[in-house]
Amino acid sequence: MTIQPRRITLDEWDIRYIELLGQGMVEPSYGGPLRRHVVDGGDTRLLKLRYDDSAAALRLWNFLLTEDDRLREARERGKLLIGTMKDLGTVPVMAYSGPNVVAFYPDGAWWIPCMMEMSAGLLSIASSLGLDETFCPVRAMIGAFVTQAHFPIPDLLTCSVGATCDDFSAIAQRLEGLGYPILWWEIPSRRKPDAGEEAITLPGGFTAPASQVAFVRSELERVRTAIADLSGSPLDDGALKEGIHAANRIRRILRELRTLAFTAPICPIPALEMLIAEMLAIHFCSDRDEAAAVLGQLLDVVRTRVEAGVGVLPAEAVRVFWVNPVADLRVMNLLEDCGGRVCGTEYLFSHALDDIPEDLPPMEALARMALADPMVGSAADRARRVVNDARGFGAEAVLISRIPGASHCAYEGAVIGEAIKSELGLPVVEIEVPPIADALMPTLTTRIEALMEIRRN
Amino acid sequence: MVSVGVDAGSRAIKIVLFDVDSREVVASGIVAQGVQCNDLANDLLRDLIERSGLGTGDIHRVIATGYARNMIDFADTTVTEITCHARGVYHVAPDAATVVEIGGQDSKLLRLGRNGGVRDFSMNDRCAAGTGRFLEVVADRLGVVLDQLGPMAARSQTPASISSTCIVFAETEIIGLLSTGISPDDIVAGVQNSIATRIAAMAGRKVAAPVVFTGGVAIVPGMDRALESALGRPVSIAPNPQFTGALGAAIIAAA
Repeated sequence: MTIQPRRITLDEWDIRYIELLGQGMVEPSYGGPLRRHVVDGGDTRLLKLRYDDSAAALRLWNFLLTEDDRLREARERGKLLIGTMKDLGTVPVMAYSGPNVVAFYPDGAWWIPCMMEMSAGLLSIASSLGLDETFCPVRAMIGAFVTQAHFPIPDLLTCSVGATCDDFSAIAQRLEGLGYPILWWEIPSRRKPDAGEEAITLPGGFTAPASQVAFVRSELERVRTAIADLSGSPLDDGALKEGIHAANRIRRILRELRTLAFTAPICPIPALEMLIAEMLAIHFCSDRDEAAAVLGQLLDVVRTRVEAGVGVLPAEAVRVFWVNPVADLRVMNLLEDCGGRVCGTEYLFSHALDDIPEDLPPMEALARMALADPMVGSAADRARRVVNDARGFGAEAVLISRIPGASHCAYEGAVIGEAIKSELGLPVVEIEVPPIADALMPTLTTRIEALMEIRRN
Repeated sequence: MVSVGVDAGSRAIKIVLFDVDSREVVASGIVAQGVQCNDLANDLLRDLIERSGLGTGDIHRVIATGYARNMIDFADTTVTEITCHARGVYHVAPDAATVVEIGGQDSKLLRLGRNGGVRDFSMNDRCAAGTGRFLEVVADRLGVVLDQLGPMAARSQTPASISSTCIVFAETEIIGLLSTGISPDDIVAGVQNSIATRIAAMAGRKVAAPVVFTGGVAIVPGMDRALESALGRPVSIAPNPQFTGALGAAIIAAA
């Protein structure tokens, strides 16, 4: 007998946790009831979310919410910590290829204001340092560096710069000004090869001139040297190949998870858990092997549900393709409360879900992967990928979520929206989601419900 | 039998009774929004039913719309004001391609498809500077009532330029303009232009005609002309523009 999965509240999770323990649930060392993150960690937003009720989802949440503990334990065990800023999915692959190194993503602090409902004061600290609300909420990261309460200060900080967000560049420069040295590596704006230039097809299908790939490779070589210098042992091609292979393993799990979750007739897993799962592709949440195990368990649950034809939402839920991650996680619940389901995503790092070529020299493969980042090309390029993916997943509507203050969001939404309308004829709605969107819930609800009505009418 | 549309908006509650068979409006009423939204709507509905010589047994179905739609406990279901305004406008102006709705605290631009369905929409609801609330603030600041704004704007020879993007700062700006001798007429015209310009920006470069103007602000004289100028398209005001959302809800309820 297959039990009908449900979306449940934190109160219901308290009961469900005891139930699962009674059924013999075995938890990893970071396991425990979800509520402890409210009590011990101050993550009060958890009280307002709805969750998948599986043990796999619980493990996913616990894995996410214990990253700080994991990093501090790693340091105590003598591991070296690298903060890989801005880069979405390339330098972490390199760092985990080195011995005795743990990489993490300080930018992930952008969710702390949401999770702690502003109680950590990170945005206020950022504002006091000149990074006010006209900047992307990722400015919370600088507050986390100041308080040192959310992650340990890394031994090495890297940051991609160039064709990345203006906001982030400014925030990272301010961070460096506060006394945190940064290894900057440049990523150029991806362009189409000119006539006569050697063209290289990147993972995901974009093309770039060979000269740009060579340039990025040379920049990543500097990162390789820095990682080797930090760890005291060379980061050779063999180690990088192993690192790429391990990263691809996670990417493949995620691709299968996405395909199953987004194409199943009945939605097998909520949008919120899928968002968290996808994020693991870019940084592994400070433990690459455990990330693979967490995602593997989630995939098993989703596969079982799809085979049994059960899910967490009604079969008639409108299939929505979601563009950009949200600063307030509650909005992922809202889509489902309004009668939708996520059937495809482009959270700014779709390249990190593609395989890194394993038949190329590793640094060449990584350079191509870095240049495939949707954020370093034109908005039209990104729109093309969204159109293709939305078509592939059979989307019935598209929701574009703007991040307030984020420079890349200011204009990309319109370009992507127009491409969707003209090429797929699907209804599109654009919303803006601040870190705490409670005051906007009525208007966000109206917009999302209207999108559902347009589709159904 | 009548169907009932309740538009529980941010500034007022509007109700329309719609004859399911003849497909005509039987009665309509409006009351200012308040804390006891559900009670206010209930009282208004009871009054309309009584005045129409009907009983509660004559009600086929009730649909609530508007920001407070979920507070109307006697509604059978809710539908967004986006869908309801589109359906209401389609009933009174079947050729409409674009609907501009400016309410008390938000504004919307709807692009209609076939049969009054919404193809696409844009909304401004983060800032009151593109809404009817701006006009209320200006009227209050100038010591006039809303009805006077139209004639004042019509007398303006040189509309003032209102540059503030926030209604609070705009109020300060208005005080500054008055102190420099700008006439109240020019200020009112400037504010109307400012609201219309925001709508035009929301519309982007593609505004299909015919454009129908609805919502509470459509009854403010002069706003239609300001919109025409900003959109570069003729704009017609929907009959009883305050009731278009409630009408649409009633029509959907009649189905």
